[in-house]
Amino acid sequence: MATIRRRVTAWLIAWMLLALAGAATLARWELARQQELFDTNARIAHRLLSQRVVQHDAILATLALLAVPGEAANRELRLPTLYPQIVSIQRRDGDAVWPGAAQQALDAESRRLGRAVLAGANLSQGQYQVLLGAEPSSYLLTIDARRMVPWAEWPFPADSSPVAVSLSHGAQHMVLQAGRGGPADGKSPWGWQFSARKVLAAESQPLDILVELRVGWHVLPWGWMVLWAATVAALLSAVQTLLRQRSDRLRDQALLRLGKVARLNTLGELAAGIAHELNQPLTAILANTQAADRLLAEDEPDMGTIRQALSQAVGQARRAADVVGRLRRAVEQRGEAGLPQAVSLQEVARKALYLLEPEFQRCQIDARLQAPGQPVLVMAEPVALDQVVHNLLMNAVQAMDQPGRTGRVMTVTLESASRRGVLRVRDNGPGVAPDALPRIFEPFYTTREGGLGLGLSLCETLIEGMGGQIQAGNVSPHGAEFVVSLPLAAEAP
Amino acid sequence: MQASTLSPLIHLVDDDEAVRSSLALLISTVGLRVQTWAQPQIFLAEFDREGIGVIVLDVRMPGISGLNLLQLLVEQGVDQPIVMLTGHGTVDMCRRAFKAGAAEFLEKPVNDELLLEALQNGVRQHVKARERTQIDRDARARYGQLSDREREVLGLIVAGLTNKEMGRALGVSPRTVESHRANLFAKLETESLAQLVRNYAALVDGKS
Repeated sequence: MATIRRRVTAWLIAWMLLALAGAATLARWELARQQELFDTNARIAHRLLSQRVVQHDAILATLALLAVPGEAANRELRLPTLYPQIVSIQRRDGDAVWPGAAQQALDAESRRLGRAVLAGANLSQGQYQVLLGAEPSSYLLTIDARRMVPWAEWPFPADSSPVAVSLSHGAQHMVLQAGRGGPADGKSPWGWQFSARKVLAAESQPLDILVELRVGWHVLPWGWMVLWAATVAALLSAVQTLLRQRSDRLRDQALLRLGKVARLNTLGELAAGIAHELNQPLTAILANTQAADRLLAEDEPDMGTIRQALSQAVGQARRAADVVGRLRRAVEQRGEAGLPQAVSLQEVARKALYLLEPEFQRCQIDARLQAPGQPVLVMAEPVALDQVVHNLLMNAVQAMDQPGRTGRVMTVTLESASRRGVLRVRDNGPGVAPDALPRIFEPFYTTREGGLGLGLSLCETLIEGMGGQIQAGNVSPHGAEFVVSLPLAAEAP
Repeated sequence: MQASTLSPLIHLVDDDEAVRSSLALLISTVGLRVQTWAQPQIFLAEFDREGIGVIVLDVRMPGISGLNLLQLLVEQGVDQPIVMLTGHGTVDMCRRAFKAGAAEFLEKPVNDELLLEALQNGVRQHVKARERTQIDRDARARYGQLSDREREVLGLIVAGLTNKEMGRALGVSPRTVESHRANLFAKLETESLAQLVRNYAALVDGKS
């Protein structure tokens, strides 16, 4: 249990790490994209406003150039209708003096610099003035800064954009666009702050434009992040399933091997035990009788000793018979274990084929199963039947596993015929030699080098113990066929 | 010489009473004496290591396996030939037995002729081996009685020098050499030059 929990925890941690790393990357990408978009738009806003203030310089220059002293200011008066941001135009001809000393000083400053100068800003009212000192006339423009924004081209829609735009000059500050839910609201204390500050591109109007955007958690690509986490979870569980299937299969194979080794060991142990148990009395019998024989050949045989030797031999023969009897009883008792029950031949065949699949691959054998859709249910002892089918398949594999043989096909056919379920295992190997065929089920009869000759004998014993039959034969053009038939189970168990 | 005068004794080690008594009877029919041992440990502690004979061991015994007992006996320098008996011999077991120094490896039930022949061969081998060691031992004892000068002369005789050549090599007269020669032949109880060389050449080579 603890192992399983630990393994699940490991997978969970792996999932969390991967999901977090992916989400962080996605968030970084999204924020970088937002930043880039913001920067582009801030540049556009700066450019548009800069164009406007440069326009003011151009208007002043044009006015100064075209001015005729004493002429009525018709032309100038029409300007506010053309440029809505221009609130008013003031003009001083010739030597006329500006009403304020400050303006007079700026006039001189402007003349000295040869360009317009900022003549005062009242950003709390949203206005500032630009003055150009020139001959024959000087001009003073009063600008409504809020009206400078060309909304048609403006990158931030007036009523829906979250971006805040403001102008500032020294300590003065004015908001061009508050921005929906923007910094002024102070609503989202968490999030990311983008801002850009730049001075407008006209020396006469050195106003700073400040563009700000505060984005909250909601801008993160939550949908993609969740999708990523889900994808990682799906991938990891797929990998885990694959790994588990693989390890299950490895375990199956290991168990199978273990079973084989255990069987072989048991048989080897058994054989050694039987040999010892029987050979002891046989040794005594042989030695006694041969000693008696030798004593009889002497000139004056010692009849007493001879009789004793022969009686010992008789006793030892009985001992050997006892050993055989004990062995038989032990084997018979073991055979009675396990009760027959309804078993699906399809399941048995599939299990055996699955377990031997690596063998088939190794020997390049095409293993086929031909079975009716309806399960063929027979009365059998499941473990014993598994063993029998496994042995028959292994036999087929070994028969076909010879160098130079190609197109190896092994077919397992299932059918139900006249109250019996039939399982056929057919191979296209060399088949069974005609003289071996009658003896093939005999114990200790083998044609294979190193074979014990117990496999088919065991199959026969097991199948007959279940009330079935097993037969061997050859098929044309070549190959062997083993047919197991077992009584069908009752219709509805 | 003295050991071979005693009649040889076969030690039979097997835990099975019936096997022990029947094989003992069989062996006794050819006139060999048999001593049977039911327990390997007692056999190991008590059997007569000096006597002439053969040891017969069952491979499968409680307490200590026949193969281990075989190894133990060989390690302890037991020189009796050892015949192994097994009820279930494998090639591997057989190889191990011969590698460990078994004289013979027989399968149970064992045929009388095979067993008896193996035992008689074993006894003959043992007698010969003991005689050889006895000769060696006697020769060494006589060699020990020689003086240094006599040993030198013996070495030169074995090397094939004539009396004259020996006299020159040793800086003495051929006459003196002749007297050493007569003395050492007497001390070594040897009549011929051939016998002298056969029995003592190894000792001379070993010493020089």
